Amino acid sequence: MEVEILQDKLAKALNAVSRVAASTKAGLPILVNVLLRADDNQLTLTATNMELATVEHVDAKVAKTGTITVPAKLLAEFVSNLPKEPVTIKTTGDKMTISAGKYKSTINGILADDFPELPKIDVEKAVGFKINVDIFKEALNEVIIAASNDTTRPALTGVYFNTFEQALYIAATDGYRLADKRFVEDVQSEIKAIVPASTLQEVLRLVSDSAQEVEVQISDSLICFKMGDVEVTSKLIDASFPDYRLLIPKNTVLNLELDKAELQRMTKVAALFARASGGSIVCEALADSNTFSVSAVASELGENTATMEVEVSEDEKVALNSRYLLDALGAAKDNKILFGISSKLEPVVIRNAQTNDYTHIIMPLKS
Amino acid sequence: MSDKWPAILNAVKAEVSEMAFESYFTNLKYVSCENDTLTISAPSVFLQTQIDKKYRGIVIDAANSCGLPCSDLNVIVKSTESQKSTVIKRGAYEIRPDNAPQTISTSYTPPSTAPRMAPSGNITTYAGVKRFTTTDNGLNKKYRLDNYIVGSNNDVAVNAALSVIENPGTRYNPLFIYGGPGLGKTHLIQAIGNEILERNPQMKVLYVTIEQFYHDFVEAMRKKIEGFTEKYRNVDVLIVDDFQGIVGKEKSQDEFFHTFNELDQHNKQVIVSSDRRADQIATVDERLASRLMQGIPIDIQMPDFEVRCAIIKMKADIAHQDIDDASVEYIAGLGCRNIRELEGVLNQVFLRADLRNKTVAEVIKEDFADTTQLAPAQRQASIQPKKLVEKVAKYYGLTSDDLFGTCRVKNINTARQISWYLMSEELKMSTVKIGSEFSKDHTTIMSGLKKIRGSIKTDFSLREQISELREQLYA
Repeated sequence: MEVEILQDKLAKALNAVSRVAASTKAGLPILVNVLLRADDNQLTLTATNMELATVEHVDAKVAKTGTITVPAKLLAEFVSNLPKEPVTIKTTGDKMTISAGKYKSTINGILADDFPELPKIDVEKAVGFKINVDIFKEALNEVIIAASNDTTRPALTGVYFNTFEQALYIAATDGYRLADKRFVEDVQSEIKAIVPASTLQEVLRLVSDSAQEVEVQISDSLICFKMGDVEVTSKLIDASFPDYRLLIPKNTVLNLELDKAELQRMTKVAALFARASGGSIVCEALADSNTFSVSAVASELGENTATMEVEVSEDEKVALNSRYLLDALGAAKDNKILFGISSKLEPVVIRNAQTNDYTHIIMPLKS
Repeated sequence: MSDKWPAILNAVKAEVSEMAFESYFTNLKYVSCENDTLTISAPSVFLQTQIDKKYRGIVIDAANSCGLPCSDLNVIVKSTESQKSTVIKRGAYEIRPDNAPQTISTSYTPPSTAPRMAPSGNITTYAGVKRFTTTDNGLNKKYRLDNYIVGSNNDVAVNAALSVIENPGTRYNPLFIYGGPGLGKTHLIQAIGNEILERNPQMKVLYVTIEQFYHDFVEAMRKKIEGFTEKYRNVDVLIVDDFQGIVGKEKSQDEFFHTFNELDQHNKQVIVSSDRRADQIATVDERLASRLMQGIPIDIQMPDFEVRCAIIKMKADIAHQDIDDASVEYIAGLGCRNIRELEGVLNQVFLRADLRNKTVAEVIKEDFADTTQLAPAQRQASIQPKKLVEKVAKYYGLTSDDLFGTCRVKNINTARQISWYLMSEELKMSTVKIGSEFSKDHTTIMSGLKKIRGSIKTDFSLREQISELREQLYA
C-alpha cells in the first residue's frame, strides 16, 4: 500500500474512528487497531468494538492499493501532531511507515486478514429514511437523556425506534423518567428497534457539519447511519421495550403554562439546597394565591423557596428529583412549557407549549 | 453432544491465530447438531458475521475431526445480557408498565437456555481434596444464581455479583463479601464462579477456602512441589472463601498478598468472602486489608421475614415437599439465627413428615407444644449481667468499674450504653432492673437505649461492634 494524503484530512478521519477502537474492552486484541484500506483514490478507515463499527472514507492519492491494521490511538495521536503537509503512508508486510516532512515513524501493525469482517445491512430487507441533520440531532438529544445505564436491564439502555399510527417515534426511559419524540412522519413500514444509547452518542459526536442529511437504515438486527463520508453500523439491543405509551397519562388534572427559563432558574437554585436530600425538590401550585413555587429543604444548610405567578385552578403538590427536571427542561425547546400535575403519586408531564411532538414524564419521589 | 464442543474449540484453536481465537471463539456456545447442521450461538451479530463469513469451513472441519459429523454450519445470535430484569427497591416510584406488584424478593433467572457446558477442568489439582460433585475448579454446581433468593438483605451484593459476572476483573475488583455464618456467602460466590464459567467456558475459575490455600502453600513449601504459583496465579477468576481463617498464618498472608497483587495487575477477578470486614480481622496486615477493601466490600445481612419465607418455599420445592403458607410463616418466625439453622429446622420437619407420612402442617401441629425441640437452641440469659459488663468493658479496653462508675467521658459512656442495650436485648432485662445494677434511674437507661437503637441504624461500625459482642456473649 502506498498512499499520499493531506494531514488535516487524515487527522480528522482518524479522530472520528479511533474513539470506537480505543474504547475497546480488554480481551479482543485486534480491536484496538484501525483498518486502513487504500483503493480507487480513496483511503477507508474502519474501527469496531464488535458492537458498533465506524467507517470513514477520505480522498487520497493511491499509488498502490493495499490494507493494514495499526493501533488506532497511536496513529491518531501521531498524525494529529504532524505539520500540515501531505502525509505518505507505505506498508511492507505488517509494518507501516508514515512520513510527513521531517517526521517519519514505523508502526508495527497486524495483517488485515485478522480484522473482523463487518456485518452489512441487507438493504432489501431494511427500512430506510433520510432526515435533516439538525432535526436529527435535536430529536436524539431530547430523548437520549432519559436512557438508563443500568446494564441489568438492557432494554432500557437504548433508544426505542418504533412506529405508531404511520409515524416513527423515538423513546427512552430509565424507569424513573421517559422521553418520547415524534421523529419522522409518514412511515409506512413497521419499525421496532432498540438502538444502544452509546451508539447514538457516538453518532451525535460524528454528525459532521458538512453533511446535510443523515441516512438511516434499520434491519432486524442492525442499524446503520450514513452521514457524508462517515458510516456507523451498530447492533440493536435484543430485548423487548416496555409498552411505554400506557405510562403517559392521557390528561392531567392541573396544566400550567410556565416560562421555561424562569423555571430552570428556580430549579437550579432549589437544587443547591436539595443536594443533601438526594436532589428532592417540591413543586407546589396554589390556587388561592395563583402561584407556583419550587422549594427545597436541607436540614443543615437551610431552605429555599422561589415563587412565580401563574394562573392556577387547583392546589397540587409533587416532589421531584431536581436533576431529572433540569434535564427535561434542558431538552424542551420552546420558551414556554406545559407542566402537568395530577397528584403527588402520579407522573408529571412536561411538553412544549407550541409544538406537541415531544413528551417528557418524570415519576415523583416518595416524600 | 455438547461435551464435544470444548474439543472442537481446541481443534479450531490449532487452525487459527491465537488472537483470532481469543477474539471470536471464546464467547461462542454450542446449541445443537441435527440433520447434518451444527448450530452454535454468538453473543452479537458482529461475532456471528465473523464466524459465518471467515471461519465457517474451519469450524465444520474441526467438528468433523472431533467425531461430530456435519456439513453445514448455522450461527445464531443470542445475547448474553440478562434479559430478565431483577426488581430492586429504590427511593422513587418506579415506572412499571405491567403494574406488577412490588415484590421484595425475586430469584434471578439466567437468560440462557443453551445447554450447560462442562467447564474445561484443566487446572492441575495436586494437593486439593476432591469433594462430592465438585469439579476440578472447586466449584459445587448446586450453587447457582437461579436458586439464590434475593431480598433487601443481599440485593447490593447480588447486583455487584451480576456486574462481576458481566465483566469479570473490571469494575469491582476485588469483590469482598462479608456477613455472619450461614447467610449465603458461599452460595453467592460459588454461584458467581459457576455463572462466569457458563458464559465463558474458556475462563479458568478457581474456588478455594483459605484453609485449602494455606494447606497447598505449606505442602508446596514442605515438599518443594512446583505448581503452587501456576495453580493460583494462572487463573482468570480466583474465589477465596472463609478468608477470616487466615488469622495467625503470616506466611500464607504474604503469599496471598502477592497472589492477589499479581491477579489484580492483570485485571483478573478476585472474589473473597469473610465473616467480617478485612480491616477488622485481627492480625491481618494493614496493606492486605486495605487492598481487599479497595474494590467493593459488601455485607450480607440476616434476611427479613418475607425473604425467609421465600427461602423456605424454595427449599421445600427442592425437597419436593408440599408446604402450606401458615407453616412457612410459622417456621420463618421461629427465630433462627441464620439460614443454615433454618435449613436444619426444615430438614427436621420434612424428615418427620416423611417418616410419619403426614403433611408438614400436621407435623408442626403435633409438635407445636414441642416448640423448644423444633426451634434452634434458645440463646438467652445464660450469662450474668456482671459478666456481660465485664465482656463489654474488655472489648473496649476498659474495666467494669469504669462502666459501673459515673465518669461521662464519651467512649466510656457509649460502652456503658452498649452494655445496657445488650442487657435489654439479650438478657431481656427491664430498664428498672438495669438501672438498679448501675445505680441509675430507669429513665436514664431508657434514653441510653434509645440513643443506641437510633445510631445502630445509621452507624455501621457500631452495628458491627455490637454483633461481635453478641457473638462473644454466646461463645
